[in-house]
Amino acid sequence: MSITSFSFFFFVCAVLLLYFLVPRRFQWVVLLIASCAFYLSYGAQYILYVLFTSVTVYFAAVYMQGITDRQRAWLKSEGRTLEKEEKNRVKAQNRKLKKRAMLAALLANLLVLCVFKYAHFAIEQLNAVLRFLRVQPIEDRLRLIAPLGISFYTFQMIGYLVDVYWDNVKAERNFFKTLLFCSFFPQITQGPISEFGNLAEQLFAEHEFSYKNYSWGMQRMCWGFFKKMVIADTLAPLVADVFAHYGSYAGITTLIGAFLYSIQIYTDFSGYMDIMCGLCEVMGIRLTENFERPYFSKSVAEYWRRWHISLGVWFKRFIYYPIGISKWNRSLGKVSREKFGRKFGDMLPASVALVVVWLATGLWHGASWAYIVWGLVNGLFIILGLWLDPVYAACRAKLHINENARLWRVFQTLRTFVLVTFIKVLPEVGTLSEGWGLWMRIFTNHEIPGSLQKLLPFLDWSSLFTLSHFGMAMLGTVCLFFFSLIERRRPVRSYTEKWPMPLRAAALGCLFFLIFTFGIQNSWEGGGFLYAQF
Amino acid sequence: MEELLEILQDINPDVDYETEDNLIDGKVLDSLSIIQMINEICETFDIEIGPKWMRNENFNSAQKIWDMIQAIREEE
Repeated sequence: MSITSFSFFFFVCAVLLLYFLVPRRFQWVVLLIASCAFYLSYGAQYILYVLFTSVTVYFAAVYMQGITDRQRAWLKSEGRTLEKEEKNRVKAQNRKLKKRAMLAALLANLLVLCVFKYAHFAIEQLNAVLRFLRVQPIEDRLRLIAPLGISFYTFQMIGYLVDVYWDNVKAERNFFKTLLFCSFFPQITQGPISEFGNLAEQLFAEHEFSYKNYSWGMQRMCWGFFKKMVIADTLAPLVADVFAHYGSYAGITTLIGAFLYSIQIYTDFSGYMDIMCGLCEVMGIRLTENFERPYFSKSVAEYWRRWHISLGVWFKRFIYYPIGISKWNRSLGKVSREKFGRKFGDMLPASVALVVVWLATGLWHGASWAYIVWGLVNGLFIILGLWLDPVYAACRAKLHINENARLWRVFQTLRTFVLVTFIKVLPEVGTLSEGWGLWMRIFTNHEIPGSLQKLLPFLDWSSLFTLSHFGMAMLGTVCLFFFSLIERRRPVRSYTEKWPMPLRAAALGCLFFLIFTFGIQNSWEGGGFLYAQF
Repeated sequence: MEELLEILQDINPDVDYETEDNLIDGKVLDSLSIIQMINEICETFDIEIGPKWMRNENFNSAQKIWDMIQAIREEE
């Protein structure tokens, strides 16, 4: 069921109606049925994988919770009379049992994820080695299609599993509630990757209908549909054309294509988030925010703290910190501090953790060398930013640059936007060499096209339809820019809320009109979401 | 507590740790500073801080960090 289809519209209407009509204690049941129906609409067989993840994580979590509860009760009743050694012995034994259960569920789910996402890539690499050794390559007979959203729901459930192991949250004892947490339809296909402690309580709570939630949620959904259907879907075929034919286009045209891709991917992904966060807001549920105006960042590191926030938080909690504060990494820092000085010793543990995080981030996004290199290039810029910070500070001081000056901040923002655009396009063109080719085209072809038609050859200049849609997408991007400026202070909706009702209705009507006029055709012709492939 | 305040001052001397209670959520300390701080704390107080303690609420103020150190000592 496409999010931009009429069937999704009717599905949402039915879910909202039922959600507020049934007795409130059954609201979560409506969400569970809706989530299963939504996922089944993409293919019946794939729900088996969601069930597998839910069942394995459920049993492991309940088992670990049982151990934690029994240990707590035992310490409460007999703690005072026991020797410290005896207490520690039992605690260590219990920790071992919990660890086994956690690792079994974790590895089972990672295995499923890896088979679906990386089996073809692994076979390709193995065959490359075999060919090099002049050995007959293996025939890749696997016909695997990854279940929709597998990277998102697997990471979310792993997060829950580890949180139960760490005793940060209590395991849910109702299997169907665990299944809902895993399969909640607004987030299963593209996230956000929620923490159990943030989402579960809201999912299972009783929610009363509120006009403010309804109004704010609907406005956000409409804005999300506008971003996706009018901007992202209009730009999608144009960007695809540039990426496919960059070899025959001028460098400047390729550069424009890269910037259009930056706009496309942001409006596509954040548009989806607006639709789903808006829908949840109507139901009184606050989803984790995934974006915080990322293109206004002043460094690559800051950009990644503001883009796909929930994935960044997941990596920070479950990879960056565990590696950064691990005993071996601390020892490495200590030794290097003694040998190379304090600064070096302080930076090394974090840098080691960052390399692993960015390798994992690359692999999470896709099984290809292009994504691996993309991840490492991002990591490289972040690590260089950390190490060279004193050098930058010295340069700024020497050049008498006022860090708080508006012009300097604008420069930093533009520099970061250009940089992340260049990094972003690398894996999107296809293979690593094609991505490299696109970079080279931008830097080495200095041809200046003589007319607008030659500058933007990906547009059909004889078609009023194409030109008007492109014009509207650009106008929409300008509006998005100004709304983002306003949202630095507070949400645009807090301003529109104060407008008289007829004006608000007219604005919403206008948005609807634009979506129907400029967006419907786009979503018929494509309409898939970029992040759904991950 | 004195030793902890010294570690924190060393990481970012521009902060009043006696009153600041939004160190993480207010983006006063970033993830690099936290790793540096954890490594210092482990060495100074001779404790092991596992990843389970790495939650924002444990690091939002000097008092919270101190409470965490005490909780880890009790657990050990």
